[in-house]
Amino acid sequence: MDLNYFKLTIIILFFTHSIYSQTNIPSIYIKTLNGKSINSKSTLNQNGLTVYSFWATWCVPCINELDAIHNEFDKWEKTNVKLVAVSTDDSRTKRRVRPLINGKNWKFDVVLDENQKFKRALNISGIPHTIVVRGSEIIYRRIGYKPGDESNLYDFLLKNSKKVID
Amino acid sequence: MKKKISPLLILFAVLNSSFINSQLLKNLTSSYESFSAYYLDDSKTGNFNYDNRFRSNNYLNIKSIISENWNLELQIESYSPDALLNYSPNLKDTGVSTFKFQYVNEKIDFTIGNFYQQFGSGMILRSWEDRNLGINNSIRGINANYRINDQINLTAIYGSQKKGFKYSKGYILGFDTEIDISQIFKNNSTFILGLSYVGRNDNETTGTTYQNTTNLYSARIDFSSSSYYTNIEIISKSKDPIMLFQKLSDNFVKKGSAFLFNTGFIKNGFGADITFRRLENMSIYSERIAFGNTFNESIVNYLPALTKQHDYSLTNIYTYQSQPNVAFIDPGLIKVGETGLQLDLYYFMKKETSLGGRYGTNLALNASFWNNIDGSFDFNNKNYSTKFFGNGEKYFSEISLEIRKKWSPKLDNIILFVNQFYNKKYIEEKSGEINSKILVIETTYKLNKNKSLKLDLQNMSTKDDNKDWLAFGLEYNLNSALSLYVSDMYNYGNTIKENKIHYYNLGASYNKGINRYTINYGRQRGGLICYGGICRYVPESNGLSFGVTTSFF
Repeated sequence: MDLNYFKLTIIILFFTHSIYSQTNIPSIYIKTLNGKSINSKSTLNQNGLTVYSFWATWCVPCINELDAIHNEFDKWEKTNVKLVAVSTDDSRTKRRVRPLINGKNWKFDVVLDENQKFKRALNISGIPHTIVVRGSEIIYRRIGYKPGDESNLYDFLLKNSKKVID
Repeated sequence: MKKKISPLLILFAVLNSSFINSQLLKNLTSSYESFSAYYLDDSKTGNFNYDNRFRSNNYLNIKSIISENWNLELQIESYSPDALLNYSPNLKDTGVSTFKFQYVNEKIDFTIGNFYQQFGSGMILRSWEDRNLGINNSIRGINANYRINDQINLTAIYGSQKKGFKYSKGYILGFDTEIDISQIFKNNSTFILGLSYVGRNDNETTGTTYQNTTNLYSARIDFSSSSYYTNIEIISKSKDPIMLFQKLSDNFVKKGSAFLFNTGFIKNGFGADITFRRLENMSIYSERIAFGNTFNESIVNYLPALTKQHDYSLTNIYTYQSQPNVAFIDPGLIKVGETGLQLDLYYFMKKETSLGGRYGTNLALNASFWNNIDGSFDFNNKNYSTKFFGNGEKYFSEISLEIRKKWSPKLDNIILFVNQFYNKKYIEEKSGEINSKILVIETTYKLNKNKSLKLDLQNMSTKDDNKDWLAFGLEYNLNSALSLYVSDMYNYGNTIKENKIHYYNLGASYNKGINRYTINYGRQRGGLICYGGICRYVPESNGLSFGVTTSFF
């Protein structure tokens, strides 16, 4: 019988949430690459869009996505969009983050979410996971990465960053 | 706890669908994840000899921000009719898995209920959730964090630890202080000190030679400037009995310790990192009798293997597991911990150079070496003494080089070469040593904006254990939502004809926004599998599996 309640709750959630879909970036302490604690809200781009890309050094599709964005980053820099790559590496692999991003010459912001508090607060179960935020409101989420997704994301940002400027 | 689920669920459903509390409604988020499988008999790997061929793991997480400062979270899990293979028997039926009330303001973060916490690098304390591994060792109790100012941060915790739907009988008490003294330096470098205490009380197992409470103390330093960083962490653990042949010994009682030194140098296009770590008798469980359990239940601290985390099928056959414990198996097989190092080098060959080519080339070199601790061991009298420096028997070593190259807007390559040594006798407490060489070539070809093909070819050559392997994976992304894949790994070198098995898999994944649906048919060898953009650990089996991941917000 318990399972029926379980299913019922999921169904109710599904319907009510299709009506109410508004979420903000939660206030969570994460770390800069230097180990300083900062609030997640301080990473927001106040005047435009913020893209949070949840990744890890061991996640090949995540690196593929960020490398793909890196290759087009000249284009991105001309828009009013801030990219924050949130490393979910735990202490097994977090030491690789700084050497890796320097080795790759990535120019975007990288923050550390070592025990995945930020990831958990956003209900993210798998990576790569991409979130686009306008102000502090989430307007787009995507799970996974396939080649070409970076271009679709760029188109989405271009369309929506204009709205911010307007 | 399980019986309370129905009223709790109804309460949430009512709150959720009611218009009374619009604040609760507006700020409610939830996620649902489900992994199911229908297991089949297999002519090669054997019949399915367990109850319930259909098994399903379900996770529903609901978060609500009640007001600016208050929020609550509930996670319901359902393992019905049974959990997937390789999950703990404590995960059964449907029930409330975790529940918390949290108060947060600029200075205070106070939680009653289940919480996840980590002190330092986690070697002294870490509670976390990893559904793929079946780990949720969250602590139920109180977690209080007070940020006095930007420089000083204090944390105190108290509670018992979750194991399945149950809780450990022992309890954990912890304090952590983090002090940022960067302002002493008149530049941009940061300097952070940390001090922690963790006490594990277990009254279920008592002895005359040790205390009921085991105390752990740690100190750490974190220094970081724009091009250089170092961190050091030291832990000492008070006397704790050693497990001998599944029984706690009253005579073999030893202290434990951990030492970690990490340093790195970075500049544009280059990064280097080296870590030295030594662990001696360092495992700690919230219940002593949980020592060494295969489901990782009741683990208090986090002592991961410091090696490159691979995600190709053949590079994950001989995966190193850290060896933090004392084990006196026989006079020829004695372990008291591990010591070793890991080195990482990253180099970006610039665009428009002869080696970098038009798009630049990425190089990543990783090397790791892990050994038993050096010392003198007395098997008959169950005693030992150790040296801080020096190596005992070699457990594992690995050198790998990864080259990532983009040739054109359509064509990408990853080439990975791995040279591995795996001491099966010491790591798995079986017999044998394995020297292997692995080559992986991955090619991605973009057919158009949303259509692409990805092919990986892998070969492992070794004269040891099950001998040579071949593997491939082909992924076809039809559009931004749908992808199909087929993969196989084959132990072609196995000298026993019946063991030359194809581990084939085929499946599809469909991604739309935050919804993801997967279906897979095949024979799993077990390990980390990555297709369609997501990586997941899978247990060994044969059958049909389905996955759903979605969020409501």
